Amino acid sequence: MFIQKGRSFGFILVFVLILSVLFALPFFVDLFYQTFLTELFVWILFAISFDLIFGYTGLLSFGQALFFGLGGYAVTILIKKFGLSTEPALLFSIIIPMIFSWFVGYFSVRLTGIHFVIITIIFAIIGNIIGDTWTSLTGGTDGLTFSPRPFRLGLFQINLMDIKGNYYFVLAIVALGYLFLRRMVQSPLGKVFISIRENEERARLIGYNVQRYKLIAFVIAGGLSGLAGGLYSLTLKYAAGSYLHWSVSGHAVVYTIVGGMGTLIGPAIGAGIVLSLEHYLVNFLQATDLVVGIVLVVMVLLAPKGLVGLIQSKWKKGKGSA
Amino acid sequence: MEGLRVKLHSNQRTRFVISNLTVAILNGVVWGLIMALIALGLNMIFGLLHIINMAHGALYMLGAVVAWYFIELTGSFWIALIIAPLCVGVIGLIIERGLIRKIEDKPIITIICTFGVMLAVQQLVLMIFGGSPRRIAPPIAYRFPIFTLQYPLMRIMIALISIGLMSGLWIFLRKTKYGLWMRAVVQDREMAVGLGIPVNKVYMWTFVLGSALAAFSGVLAAPIVSVEFMMGREVLIMAFIIVIVGGMGNLEGSVLAAIIISLIQGVGSLFAPPSVATIFALGFMIIVLLIRPQGLFGE
Repeated sequence: MFIQKGRSFGFILVFVLILSVLFALPFFVDLFYQTFLTELFVWILFAISFDLIFGYTGLLSFGQALFFGLGGYAVTILIKKFGLSTEPALLFSIIIPMIFSWFVGYFSVRLTGIHFVIITIIFAIIGNIIGDTWTSLTGGTDGLTFSPRPFRLGLFQINLMDIKGNYYFVLAIVALGYLFLRRMVQSPLGKVFISIRENEERARLIGYNVQRYKLIAFVIAGGLSGLAGGLYSLTLKYAAGSYLHWSVSGHAVVYTIVGGMGTLIGPAIGAGIVLSLEHYLVNFLQATDLVVGIVLVVMVLLAPKGLVGLIQSKWKKGKGSA
Repeated sequence: MEGLRVKLHSNQRTRFVISNLTVAILNGVVWGLIMALIALGLNMIFGLLHIINMAHGALYMLGAVVAWYFIELTGSFWIALIIAPLCVGVIGLIIERGLIRKIEDKPIITIICTFGVMLAVQQLVLMIFGGSPRRIAPPIAYRFPIFTLQYPLMRIMIALISIGLMSGLWIFLRKTKYGLWMRAVVQDREMAVGLGIPVNKVYMWTFVLGSALAAFSGVLAAPIVSVEFMMGREVLIMAFIIVIVGGMGNLEGSVLAAIIISLIQGVGSLFAPPSVATIFALGFMIIVLLIRPQGLFGE
């Protein structure tokens, strides 16, 4: 109990510290890096939502790109074609992917292991093909561009066309998403997810309806992936079928493996490291995915628990010997 | 099509439809045989090692790319057809010994690991080979007439070579010591170990063989499709579909499924846009996965 409290106090301290640094950052870096960081926040949200389904519940879903892309389309199409303002559009970028992830999950959670991986890939491919061919709605492979109206909450207003405004907007939502997920994985529900990951058979024997809990995790992760997609579209003012390609889910896999799965903070750190690496390498290397692929393989072989796991084991070892 | 329909006489129209249909069926069979080779490699690796090799499509692409270089160097398609699978086999050996051996008991981790290999190989090819698609000219340029259309003889050759390779594989699995070992390991790994079969080595050669088969199909597909670094991405998914519909670990099922699916796609694309045909194929696969996860032809 004491440890739990101490931990949570430490977390709040670090969280507030990081937030205030990120809050101050736009005053010191130029517009290019503000955009870069905004995109990084979006990928962090995508990665931690993937961590809920993979790291905590143990389901490797390559279908998260479908919900990411759906969120992007929801925001874009609702604003562009239906003239909605930003707030409801963003809400729909959670709701619509949640509906779809319920549908996909309803079938997928019946399968386990490799079959689950493949069925999620198939659903993502179907989404990708529909997105690319239903030109009248989605703009096809060219995609759709739009300009969102300012975000209003009471008297409070943020101009999303302004890069700095967009930065704060995305930062705030991603921070809220992180807190939501952290609260969730520490709740009794989160413990059930972990028990399914650790031993599905045992969880079933205790009396949990494993499939239903898997579906709950899948739908929550789907909704948050959709929110990430919606924010991504708001940042780029653009959405296209390529967002739905199953390999987009690969981004989340890479960040999660590099940072450490089942930790939430791990995928966030992983996203930061991998994206910075890519950003740095792109100056003299045409194909950044080469390095990403190698990093992924090396991490899987040498540190399957990711950087966070590596640090934790070092720390424990140091403590044990002292 | 609409314009033609008006101008042609009914007799000509029938001939036009028949020749189109014949070509579509031939194409379906040829492509089906190529896909069967890819799916066989994927399925052998799955049946024995119980891993899904996400890099399989990249190995197929690598086969075509290596062949392109050898054709530039020697000018002979046939030399490339022999050498490219050997080179890719060596790469398969490195992947198996260096990576998969270390994580073999964790199926989900191997998926992620081979996904990393796929990214790295694709991008390496992009850096060296470049992003623009290139063509490999068919070594046999002769075309024979089918009613009103011309059909390249090379495609028939490709089909025959695929059949030859598959027969060779069948004989290898049925008549040789290694083939016997492989079948024994698939049936009962523990027992195979107990009987003194070098299971470790069998794994290694299966992976090498599977990689070489992917490369073979890459070279064979090269004169039909264009060679580029992303060519393996969609093929990988098709190979998954075939392996699942045919039954995981069921090699004959894979061959059958490959030909049936390619025929449906080929003939279907005469009547519907290819994207619709693909969506139907994918939807069909979801149903198979849910109702018969052991595959259509499994027992």
